[in-house]
Order: sequence, then C-alpha cells, then structure tokens
Amino acid sequence: MTATDGPRQSHHLLLRRLHSLSGLVPIGVFLIFHLTTNASVVWGAANTRMPGEGLERGVQTFQHEVSWINDMPGLLLIELSLWLAIGFHSILGVVYAVGGKPNVGAYKYPDNWRYTLQRLTGYVGIFFIFYHVATLRWGWSFLVPGGTVWSHEYAASTLAAALRGSYEGFTGAGIAVSIGYFLGVTCLVFHFANGLWTSAITWGLTVSEKAQKRWGMVCAGLGVGLMGAAWMALIGFLLTDPVDARALEEGMLSGAHEVQAEQDEGAIGSAEPGREP
Amino acid sequence: MAIAYAHESTADQRRANRTRAVEGRTVLCRVRRCDGPGKAGRWESFKVPVEPGMNVIACLKHIAQNPVTVDGNTTTPVVYDAGCLEEVCGACTMLINGMARQSCSCLIDEYAPLEGDTITLEPMTKFPVIRDLWVDRARLFQSLTRVKAWVPIDGTYALGAGPKESPEVQQDRYDMSECMSCGCCLEACPQFTIEPDEASWDTSFIGAHAISQARLFNGHATGKELKNDRLDELMNPGGVSECGNAQNCVKVCPKGVPLTESIATIGRQVTIRSFTRFFSGK
Repeated sequence: MTATDGPRQSHHLLLRRLHSLSGLVPIGVFLIFHLTTNASVVWGAANTRMPGEGLERGVQTFQHEVSWINDMPGLLLIELSLWLAIGFHSILGVVYAVGGKPNVGAYKYPDNWRYTLQRLTGYVGIFFIFYHVATLRWGWSFLVPGGTVWSHEYAASTLAAALRGSYEGFTGAGIAVSIGYFLGVTCLVFHFANGLWTSAITWGLTVSEKAQKRWGMVCAGLGVGLMGAAWMALIGFLLTDPVDARALEEGMLSGAHEVQAEQDEGAIGSAEPGREP
Repeated sequence: MAIAYAHESTADQRRANRTRAVEGRTVLCRVRRCDGPGKAGRWESFKVPVEPGMNVIACLKHIAQNPVTVDGNTTTPVVYDAGCLEEVCGACTMLINGMARQSCSCLIDEYAPLEGDTITLEPMTKFPVIRDLWVDRARLFQSLTRVKAWVPIDGTYALGAGPKESPEVQQDRYDMSECMSCGCCLEACPQFTIEPDEASWDTSFIGAHAISQARLFNGHATGKELKNDRLDELMNPGGVSECGNAQNCVKVCPKGVPLTESIATIGRQVTIRSFTRFFSGK
C-alpha cells in the first residue's frame, strides 16, 4: 500500500524517463539536424562552391546535403531507430496526455497555456510526422496532391512539387499541404523547445526558479533559432520552381556542377567535404 | 462598469478594487448548492448588504441569518467548512469566481466593489462534495501518509537529543513548512483529477503539496531516515513523474510554498535514487 512495498511497478518511472529522454535523443537532436539541413536551400545561397546564384545555389546545396545523407552507411538502421523512438514517444505521450485535464479557461497563466500547447502540439505533431514520413519517405503518393513521389536524387524539385501540388504551379490542395507543413513544423519546434525546458525540471537539473528561468531563456533562444530555420526552409522551397530545380539536379547527377565548381575555384574546389579530391 | 473578476484579474487589480469599493452597497452572492454526495447541484443567488472589510465567511453568515434567495424562496443556510478564519488551516478553501482560495481571507471589496456586482462561490471540483461548499479532503491527507510526511521519533526508549540543524537549512525548509494542506495547488493542477474511488488513491497523482512535504522531511536531519521510502513511493505510479509542469500550483498557493522548486528537487532526488537502485540494487 505504501512505500514499504518497495519498487512497485518500477518500470513506471523508467518509462516516464525514457519518454523524456527519447524526445531529446534521438528525436530532438535529429530535429535540429533535419531543420538546419532543410534550411540549406536558403543558406546555400551563400555557398560559392555551387554555380548559379541565389536559390539556384540553395537548391544544389540542399541536393548536396541530401546526397551526403543518402550515402551514409547504415542509413536504414538510423531511420528505423528514429521511427521506433518517434512511435514510442508518441504512444506514451498520448497515454500521458489523456490523463490530464487542461484548465486554461479558469487558470489563464502563460505557463498553463504552455502546458496545454505542449499536448496540442504533440497531437498535431504525430499527424504531421506520419503524413510527412509516409508521403516523402515511404512514397505513399496517393496522399500527395498531384501524386508527386519524393526522390533523394531530385530532392528540392520533388519536394517543391509536393508542396505546390503540381510541377506546373500551386493548386488548392497544394496550398493546403503547404499550410499544413507550416503548422506542423511550428508545432514541433515549440514542442521540442518546451520539452527541452521541462525535461530539465523532470530530471532535476534546474531546481531553483532562477535556474528554470535561465534555462528557459536558452530553450526559447534555441526555439526561435529553429523556428527561423524551419520557416526559412519552407519559404525557400515554396519559392523554388520545380522545373528549374529539376534541371539543376539533372546537372548535378551528370556531375556537371563538380566541373563547374573546379573551374570557379580552382584547387579549392577539390576540397569539397566528404569527397575524395 | 465592467469589473475584472478573479479569473481574469491580478492581485494588483484586486487590491485596486478595494479603494474603489462603494460603501453601503448590496452585492449578489451566487452560490453553487448541493444537498448531498452524488446529488445534482443548483445555483442560488442572495442579496447581501456589504459592510466595510467584509469577507466571504461573513457574507455566508449573513445569508444563514435570513436564507431567502433573490427570487424570494426560503432555503437552507449554505453549508461550508471553516476553522481558523485567519488563513492557516485551509478548511474554508472554495472556488471564488472560479479560482481556488480561502474564503476567510477573501474580501468582498476585492471581488465585488460596486453596487450590484456578483461574487460566485462554488465547492472545489477535485474533491467529493459533502454538502454545498463543504468538500471531503481526505485524499489530500492520505497523500501525506503515502510519502511519510513526518519525522520518525516513535520508539520504546528515549532517543536523546536530535542532530543539529544549521540555520541555513532551517531557513530553506521554513517556506515548505508553511503548507496548510488547503488543496489550492491540487484544485488548480490539470494533472490532478477527482478520484471518487478510494482504492485508486494510492496510484493516482499525489499532488504538489505532498511532493513538497517529502522534500521538507527529506531535508530534515532526522526525517531523512525515511528519505528512500519517500522517494520509492514518488517513483511509483502517481508519483512525481505525473507532474506536467503547468506550474499552476505555485501561482495559486496562498502561502507562497516553492512547489515547483520542490517538484524539481524531488525530480533530482528520484533521478539519483533510481540510478543508485539500478546499480547497487538497494
């Protein structure tokens, strides 16, 4: 009945703590890499190793990043562990969330809104991640307006077409998908930043109110940065013309950009990371 | 004029309301009535002439003298729990304009400063209603036994003088010792839900007050003898990990008990305890 019974259901705490941990590693760490990689379509504009200018460079930088990831050894193992972690975090998260009764109607504190939003963004995030992975990774093209199938060899163009609804231009369904992506990434970034903050309380890292405030500033800063990266990437892909991007990617497949880069930069061009000179 | 009511007003606004309070006014006291456990509730409103500095308890006493509703129906006096009438026992906690607080320290001037203003009284929702505004807070005290919120000094022989306590540690513990088990933190907590079935109390969320008391006695030189027992209980279902970090508890606590710091401290102690238990087996 009481504590003298010893470790009654000792897996309870273990599951709770694994739920907290899985949100940080691997899911949170992956989110940071994923969003910064996506944003390469915009920050890639400053990548002078790529030919062209502006978004042309961005599209090729993004393609370069995607190709690098697809060349990683054991990629499927990494993906499987991520899917398992996300599934575990989602299922337990829902089980935990339905146990609470949000009461922002009566207690309108910002922290209470944060609590409620953490649960709402979790629900939205589950749907979004499922749609995102199912359509762009598992190739469930019947869920994509226009039936675009994402390809890692034509990363930016197929993504842009999936967001627009067709290769030719924006369709109504495409705009709906784009808005869905905006809401989805916004929810997930909030969920991660807030989860990072509360996990420090859960594990007992930030004890005093002052420490919680300080760590809150760090988490908010990271959240704003990631939000910027996520929105930047989305804007970049929405501005990417799928047909133009396709031509650039075709060029990369035939190795044209490597030649171009070497011509542009001479010896430095061969110092491209991740490739033999 | 529109008045900001408790659920949308800050303490500063309520204090400002005191200076605006009209003398000799009559306010409407809207009360949630219930004739007994499991019976349906109903609303009744009473007109109450306000005296300067009047609190909610005085308002209820006035109604008891002449229990006639605004519709002219004679009814029974409103039942409520009360003890000290100076905000140290916690018995008279109820929802005032939708938020939990003690009715003894709640001034009508702060909530209904103008002629004809309404003040709403309801029983707490996280505990079973006995009658009207009177609830059964037994679960709250059962939670304290779950974490052995006491110093173990009972025995068959004299234990002698206890260990020395430094003034610093005493000072740290003082804030937690002010808890009066009123239930405000539980009422405001989205993770703490009503459990009519007593059998489930041992596995449902224990609440911020008990977690804070566990920290209080874990920090006591003699009380820490039971530290592992307390932490083991708080690692179980219904323990500290059920906290969702909404942090309403610390905001509604009338005593300013550092509840969220207690939750984080116990979180740290539980982390260390679980690693110790995993690697040493005890």
